[in-house]
Amino acid sequence: MAGIRFNFPAPEIDQSINELRNEVRAFLHEEIRGGGFVPVADCWCAGVDRNFSRKLGQKGWIGVTWPRKYGGQELSALHRYVITEELLAVGAPVHAHWIADRQSGPLILASGTEDMKRNILPRIAAGECFVALGLSEPEAGSDLASVKTRARKVDGGWEITGTKLWSSGAQHCQYMTVLARTSDPVEGSRHEGLTQFLVPLDSRGVTISGIRDMSGVEHFNESHFESVFVADDSVLGQVGEGWKQITSELALERSGPERFLSTFIAVERVLEQASRDLTDREATVLGGIVARVRALRAMSLGVAALLEEGKSPDVEAALVKDLGTRFEQDVVERLREFGPILWKRGSGDLLDDVMADSLLRQPSFTLRGGTNEVLKGIVARGIGLR
Amino acid sequence: MNETDLLILDAAERLMSDFCTTEAVARHEAGVVSAELAEAVMDSGLPMAWVPEHFGGVGGSLTLGFDLIRKSASYALPLPLAETLVANLLLAVSGLSVPGGWAALGYDGGALPVSERGEVDGTIEMASGAKEASVIVVPVLEKGYLRIASFAPSTIDLEHRRNLAGEVRTRVILRSAIPSQLSGRIKTISEDGVRQFCALVRAAQIAGALDRVSVLTAAYVAERKQFGRALGKFQAIQHRIADIAGETALAGAAVQQATRMLGACEHPLLGDHSTAISIATAKVLAGEAARKVPQDAHQAHGAMGFSYEYPLQHFTRRVWNWREEFGSEFYWSERIGFMIKDEVQAGPESSVFGLAWDFATR
Repeated sequence: MAGIRFNFPAPEIDQSINELRNEVRAFLHEEIRGGGFVPVADCWCAGVDRNFSRKLGQKGWIGVTWPRKYGGQELSALHRYVITEELLAVGAPVHAHWIADRQSGPLILASGTEDMKRNILPRIAAGECFVALGLSEPEAGSDLASVKTRARKVDGGWEITGTKLWSSGAQHCQYMTVLARTSDPVEGSRHEGLTQFLVPLDSRGVTISGIRDMSGVEHFNESHFESVFVADDSVLGQVGEGWKQITSELALERSGPERFLSTFIAVERVLEQASRDLTDREATVLGGIVARVRALRAMSLGVAALLEEGKSPDVEAALVKDLGTRFEQDVVERLREFGPILWKRGSGDLLDDVMADSLLRQPSFTLRGGTNEVLKGIVARGIGLR
Repeated sequence: MNETDLLILDAAERLMSDFCTTEAVARHEAGVVSAELAEAVMDSGLPMAWVPEHFGGVGGSLTLGFDLIRKSASYALPLPLAETLVANLLLAVSGLSVPGGWAALGYDGGALPVSERGEVDGTIEMASGAKEASVIVVPVLEKGYLRIASFAPSTIDLEHRRNLAGEVRTRVILRSAIPSQLSGRIKTISEDGVRQFCALVRAAQIAGALDRVSVLTAAYVAERKQFGRALGKFQAIQHRIADIAGETALAGAAVQQATRMLGACEHPLLGDHSTAISIATAKVLAGEAARKVPQDAHQAHGAMGFSYEYPLQHFTRRVWNWREEFGSEFYWSERIGFMIKDEVQAGPESSVFGLAWDFATR
């Protein structure tokens, strides 16, 4: 099929990767046993624990691919992959630093000023500085290019006015990357004239209010910017080039293990609960789940290897996210065979809690970071149908 | 993949695009074998890809062979290339002579017993490749040890039947049959190892056929116009194409992963725990894709895809057979599940948490 690779290169797994995996896994199991954290479903969007983020920072497991002078470890993308997938698999509370580690840090590294790199990246890597995404708006969801937030050039900087919606975890963050219009959209090129800014959330004129979601958590936010002044050097990259920057981040964002592991902790809890009473029928259900996770992992690692080779596997990444997010939803339904999902979180039962959260949070999986309909459109474009 | 492998694959691709046309595939199903095609494939040496050079073969890597199998399935090659590759490998690994020509796989998931006098009794319900073959290779068991037997087709009872795709599958009836060749006990092959290996062969064939289904469907919807525009302009159709691409790529990735893993094994026919997980994954995903992709592809093709003349059905009928052979997605899901269950029973209860993930990352 034109435009799609059905062949993926193999990731280069060396001894250091396996050692790191064992080290991370042992640490996490020790943390769970010692009560360091309680595993949660959808941990990368719902599990906030600043202490835990700091602990990971001390371990050197945030920003691992960044240069040492900015707080990183200069390790490979595969090292980061292994750390993140181990965290996701046990439902570790990683939401606070997730976006900064995955997205904002690399963005600052690629497009930020030297000042930003020296001041902000080491704090992110230490697990002490968090960044939220300011993309969606009340009138701009899937159609992101229609953002209305404006940045007006003023003496020495920019003045930002507008409202950002659904920014996860903004109440815990020190910064937000805000996508704003810096010039009017031109007919036929509405992706021009958009710019990304790094906005300190303690700036005058910023108000953040929580939005409760259907699972009962308040991790969404509405963030209002009223003539917020930011200095010239808050611009990330080039003025007017914001759209290009965002879309180039997407392959990484869409193909990672968080796109198929959001409910994996429920699989572990179900197996743990069944333990020696696991029936043949239940074992078969688990076997089917494990098979699909393994395949998704192979494909996701294949996309990571393509990225390492400098390719742009946008279509393949969109496929991983489409397949993976539908799978992590489906996992919840498959696990119902082990027992009904009846009770809200807080019952004190570890299994009930992750099952309830997995079910109540799953509608968001196929929405966040681009709906599956948008993703399928990207695939169709890649094939040349549109 | 090294350069020699790439050259061989390229040559195979050219050969099949020249000779393995839709017409040739259809004629073959009607009983008219394309001598041109059969000769071209045989002369190319591809059936000997897994036979070491000192046995007169190509000495190619395991990956090369699986890539050839996938490629040949993407042309619906109506010849037992995959079966011959496996049969020749079994002969070579057991130190038996490899006669050349087409070889059949006298195995459908269970090995027959061989007596101490070297007689084989029993029925193989679904041998593949036996119509063309000059030798039928049969893994047999003696007190739990695997030996490899080969028979000349003229010396045993064969009942040919055609499967859904028109491929010949053969009931082989052995009554105190004396093999023309019989190896000693082979410690580097196990019965389950053969089963796993054959399952991966069918998974690779499914991946190859679905590669072609994806291409055919994308091309068809780009071309075919209704309501004044190409079908591919309709979002409902685009989403089906994306689903086809996704399931095909996912099954392909699982097959590749399993092939790489098997290629790194010293004894790829021995079949251990770690090969079982990867191969089970490949066959589960191939089996699932063999359900979903044909559904979407036929829907997108409309009545045209349902007609015999159009190539799509040669591929969809094949994958519907291949998904059943050497264990369906249900069988292999169960295999993974039972492996998990075994470890739960064997280990301390405190080690159960994290076991599913451990299986996912092995």
